[in-house]
Amino acid sequence: MRPFRNLVICYGAPLIKIEHLCKSYDRKIVLDDVNLSVRRGSIMGLLGPNGAGKTTLISILTGVIGMDSGKITVGGFDLGRDPGSIQALCSYVPQTLAFYTRLSARENLEYFGSLWGLKGKKLKERMGFCIDAGSLQAFVGKRVDTFSGGMKRRLNLAIGLLNEPEILYLDEPTVGVDAQSRNYILETIRKINRERKTTIIYTSHYMDEIEQVSDEIAVIDEGRIILHEEKQTILTHANAVLLGAGQRGVEAVKTLQPREGIRIEKERIHIERDERFSENMAAVFAVFRDRGVRVDDMVSGHRTLEEFFLRLTNDRLRDEN
Amino acid sequence: MTKSFYTLKKEFLLIARDVHAVTVLFVMPAVFIMIMSLAMRDLFDLHHSVSIDVLAVNRDAGNKSDAFLKAIEKLPAFRFHPLDKDAATERIGEAMHSRGVKFALIIKENFSSSIEKGRGQEVKKPIELLVDPSVNVQTQMVLRSALDGKLAKLKGDTFLDSIEPFLGAAGIDKEELKATEDSQVAVHYIYKGGRSFKIPSAVQQSVPAWLVFSMFFIVIPLSNTFISERGQGTLMRLKSMNVSRLALIAGKMVPYLFINAIQAVVMIGIGVYVVPFFGGTALTLGNSLGGLILIAFSVSFCAIALALLIASVARTTEQATTIGGVLNIIFGALGGIMVPRFVMPGFMQDLSLLSPMSWGLEGFLDIFLRNGSASDPLPESLSLLILGGAMLILTIILLRRQKEV
Repeated sequence: MRPFRNLVICYGAPLIKIEHLCKSYDRKIVLDDVNLSVRRGSIMGLLGPNGAGKTTLISILTGVIGMDSGKITVGGFDLGRDPGSIQALCSYVPQTLAFYTRLSARENLEYFGSLWGLKGKKLKERMGFCIDAGSLQAFVGKRVDTFSGGMKRRLNLAIGLLNEPEILYLDEPTVGVDAQSRNYILETIRKINRERKTTIIYTSHYMDEIEQVSDEIAVIDEGRIILHEEKQTILTHANAVLLGAGQRGVEAVKTLQPREGIRIEKERIHIERDERFSENMAAVFAVFRDRGVRVDDMVSGHRTLEEFFLRLTNDRLRDEN
Repeated sequence: MTKSFYTLKKEFLLIARDVHAVTVLFVMPAVFIMIMSLAMRDLFDLHHSVSIDVLAVNRDAGNKSDAFLKAIEKLPAFRFHPLDKDAATERIGEAMHSRGVKFALIIKENFSSSIEKGRGQEVKKPIELLVDPSVNVQTQMVLRSALDGKLAKLKGDTFLDSIEPFLGAAGIDKEELKATEDSQVAVHYIYKGGRSFKIPSAVQQSVPAWLVFSMFFIVIPLSNTFISERGQGTLMRLKSMNVSRLALIAGKMVPYLFINAIQAVVMIGIGVYVVPFFGGTALTLGNSLGGLILIAFSVSFCAIALALLIASVARTTEQATTIGGVLNIIFGALGGIMVPRFVMPGFMQDLSLLSPMSWGLEGFLDIFLRNGSASDPLPESLSLLILGGAMLILTIILLRRQKEV
């Protein structure tokens, strides 16, 4: 019997709590005092440049590798003391295609299902669910090495659903697939979260995907969590109105500086859509009126998550070593 | 039970669907056993009392040729088949080819007269030997020596008969002089290490040798599968499913023990049933099934442990294939697989003891050749199990250090 099932389900309470987590390889610090909590039933997008520590963090959370120090509790279980109980709640879908290509989809599902302790009717039932979830009905008896990239990704995800996980870790689940398969995978992830209240930790380099599926977003860089917010909050912060008023407009706004919520970038005036938005807009238009500046154009700017992420992580290239 | 069943099923399917693995594990040793058992038959038969067929044509009308034929029929290494005395040389050649006989002996018309004449009076050689060119010189020499020996004995006896009155007068028993026909040379094989030794037949050497070689060849498919699993993240996925490192290793060992067992059954079956069908001698299995299982298990355990060690050291399948292939060939060449140990010079026989394949081969020969009991292959089995255990411990230590597994 899985003890987790006896717990009172309380959506919104932290299901995963990471405190002061540190990990290093060969004296190189990979995770540095990571603190993070994930709400039960939410989808958390985990963003970070290459080598930021995303896969290491997930590997520790799934019990694949150990931590140097810190504390992780999942559903009340301490990872350091009771990794088996935590692993029984989770499923990990690696970014690599982690199955056997010389076997058929059915044979793969049978094998991984049996490792979860499934057998007989229950195994068949779960396999049926996963085949449907991966939309693999027509190819289930075929060898996987004949599959397209999208079908392989769907099978990778389907294997991860065999044990009805409470927590699903998805490491870049849509890499290298066509738009249709990508859309299908994202739909499936949302459906699983919606219908089964599965908590999902999702890493991807595609910002639009993260924006599309996540409830909350954490950004990790150089082994540290540098941002963890509700997606909506981040996007609200990212919203701004852009005014074009030429050099005269820029000079006029400079007289207001420094002022929180107003920035000048390349002859454009950015006014953040924050709590001071109305006040800032009024101030800018007042100074324009006083100086006789005409507004050439006004765009309700929506800074993308990608732009926001790049700014947050300092734009520079991150080549893993 | 379900886990074990599906793990076995998975590994069997992976092997069965891998053409290269099937070739290396089953086709290659089967072909080697067939080729070596048949090609080396005559070479190995030199050491045995296995009869070599010889056609015999007696064109002589005298009584000495009958005595000669009676004498050579007692030769243990040859079996003589008489042909019509009028058969022409051309027909004899055809009979040799059609019957697959390598030798034909022609006793010429002047045989009896040449025996009865004294030395120095011979004009023509009284015996002619037709030889198939594929016969090696050594076998030919053995037959020639045997015929010369019998001819000399016959000449000696004829001479004794001719001087019988003088011998009687001198009080010498003629029959006593004639009786010393058997070889006075006692032969003992001296084997390095001093243990009891019998020379194997071609099939007795080939089957265990290539069986051991092929069992060790599982290092290639096993290490390749393991490295692919690691590279594709399957091992990480399994580890995240709370599958322990020990279970991962057991999940590899058990199916491959079965695969090695199937190899043993197939190769022994080829030695017993298929090789004789093509004209070779059948493999004799000895009397100890327990001993056979023990040595087969030990070889398998050692080979699997080596495969896992290679898989934990190599980073790519190419590296594993190269390391595994080269090691196997060195072990095979050194361990008496490719060149039988008993034909090696002394220092090479000492060196061959370094190869685990040599231990496995000796263990099998204890059972097949020396009719050993279950305890006979015990020293070799223990050596293989200890080496396998050491490699397994090293593998676990190496895997612990690797973050992927």
